[in-house]
Amino acid sequence: MIQFQFIVAFLMIALGIYAFLAKRNLLKLVLALNIIDSGIHLLLISLGYRMELNEVPTAPIYTGYETLKSPMVGPLPQALVLTSIVIGVCVLSLAVALTINAYRHYGTLDVRALRRLRG
Amino acid sequence: MNGETILPYLIIVPLFGAFSMPIISLAGRKAREAWAVIISGITLLVGSAVFHSVYENGPMLYTLGAKSPFGKANFPVRIVWEVDLLSALMVLMVTLVAFLAVLYSLGYMKHDTGLDKYYTLILILELGMLGIAITGDLFNFYVFLEIMSIASYALVAFRNDTWEGIEAGIKYMFVGSIASSLVLLGIALLYGQYGTLTMGYLAVKIAQNPTVVAKVALAFFIAGLLFKSGASPVHMWLADAHPAAPSSISAMLSGLVIKIGGVYALARILFSIYGSSVNMKTVGWVIIIFACITLIVGNAMAVIQTDMKRLLAYSSVGQIGYILLGIGIGLAAYGSRTGDIALAGAIYHTFNHALMKALLFLIAGAVIHELGTRNLNELSGLAKTMPKTTFAFLIGAAAIVGLPPLNGFASKWLIYESSAMFNPILATIAVIGTAFCTAAYVRVLYTFFGKPSEKVMNARDPDATMLWPMIILALAIIVMGLFPWQISDKVMIPVAKALENQLGYIATLMGGA
Repeated sequence: MIQFQFIVAFLMIALGIYAFLAKRNLLKLVLALNIIDSGIHLLLISLGYRMELNEVPTAPIYTGYETLKSPMVGPLPQALVLTSIVIGVCVLSLAVALTINAYRHYGTLDVRALRRLRG
Repeated sequence: MNGETILPYLIIVPLFGAFSMPIISLAGRKAREAWAVIISGITLLVGSAVFHSVYENGPMLYTLGAKSPFGKANFPVRIVWEVDLLSALMVLMVTLVAFLAVLYSLGYMKHDTGLDKYYTLILILELGMLGIAITGDLFNFYVFLEIMSIASYALVAFRNDTWEGIEAGIKYMFVGSIASSLVLLGIALLYGQYGTLTMGYLAVKIAQNPTVVAKVALAFFIAGLLFKSGASPVHMWLADAHPAAPSSISAMLSGLVIKIGGVYALARILFSIYGSSVNMKTVGWVIIIFACITLIVGNAMAVIQTDMKRLLAYSSVGQIGYILLGIGIGLAAYGSRTGDIALAGAIYHTFNHALMKALLFLIAGAVIHELGTRNLNELSGLAKTMPKTTFAFLIGAAAIVGLPPLNGFASKWLIYESSAMFNPILATIAVIGTAFCTAAYVRVLYTFFGKPSEKVMNARDPDATMLWPMIILALAIIVMGLFPWQISDKVMIPVAKALENQLGYIATLMGGA
């Protein structure tokens, strides 16, 4: 089960990198960045999920954990991923804002048009 | 007042200043400018106090969360900030240059709109860099790295009415985001293998059990941080992004961001986390090879530029090459006297280059402000109408080339000396790089002292808020140049020793505030 998540995570990262290198549309590049980030988030979350004694772990909520029978997943990766998602949203909004501006100046979303700075 | 109590204000003051800026701006232009200067001034004072405290009393530790290093059930839930001498020196450098850049912005950005956002972003940029310098936790490092990066993407594209800013901003943002993703992937791998993110604790775990995963993570860190520092195969974004930003921001990007977010972070990860648990000779040589390519390409490309700011940006690439060379030799010759000298030279050059490149970009900004152009072919004879600016440029250029009475001489000499002791071929490459660098700056000076063209006749030296930061930086360069070996022995060698002292870094974790 757990192997499956790791495979998907690395597939997503590879897919994102492929799209980043192969695509020419600015919006698709922005999406590629987000797919890479999502792959890394999935990897982090999977790292915190461990099956102990064949029991499915529960969410890491501290209140009332004394009565809990089953193990909990690692809380640290979840905190990290929440932070990282927020950062991702910042980058995404900035990227889209810049893309809009680029469209106003260049009249196209083709990244090959952004070649005026040279030398 | 002891150091630990003032350390958090290094983050609190600029953070508060940044987010109260839009409210203060409602009170008008004067209030906004005064607020920006006051906040960055207080940060400078706090930064100097932190440096003084660390210099006198040794490394300090500030914990957010559990005080004890063992926590409950042997698992400490906490984030640590750990400031050793290198971090403290970087803090001093960041706060000083950022203060001068804010002061300069008062005059330079006078004619722009959206200034409340500008000052908010410049303080956030400063905050992100300070956070990277003081943190002792890998994920905390990533968060501050992204704070710094996002602020700098936005500032590069600040003049969004020109295509240049937008294009440079988009390029910078894509490259920077990929680099950040690589760093995050490295962090995820390290967490999966060792289950902790505290740098000192991670160092212990890696030393106990150096696995393949740790080495793969190191490869991701090196790749990501070389992207961020603008090393050569991937330096193209730097030459676009740094000239496109407003000049006060260029000074911060070239002087600080590529060093804190690239070189300093790389040195911290290589020495304090990995240290002797990887094959240091191999890793050192990898860095040295990148450094040599960077050094030659950056300085050689600087010679053929006609755009003044682009020339300075390529020169920054070249100088990053010297710093990386010092770090690489420090790693490959770890523990020997050569390694100490190389590392001290690299750190010294980091500090010197921050002052010199900030000065040169501020001068470029003054020229743009007066003449509206940065094409070198149109700037002939500037020395007649802008004598003070030209004099400051003369000092900056002489320092960056490494002429003896100025500060660049000592740091470059340390790097040459150690590379000659380590491998004479590297010293030859370093000297060739300097020859290109000299050619580039002599060309600019030749233009400045040439026959005055009509365009420059109406120019004059900029007003006080723009002139004073340049004078302060030039004075700092001259004064530091008067005591090169004293500074090297009293500050830079101890800093290099502190960076090499991995056990000391781990031992600091056991203390606690």
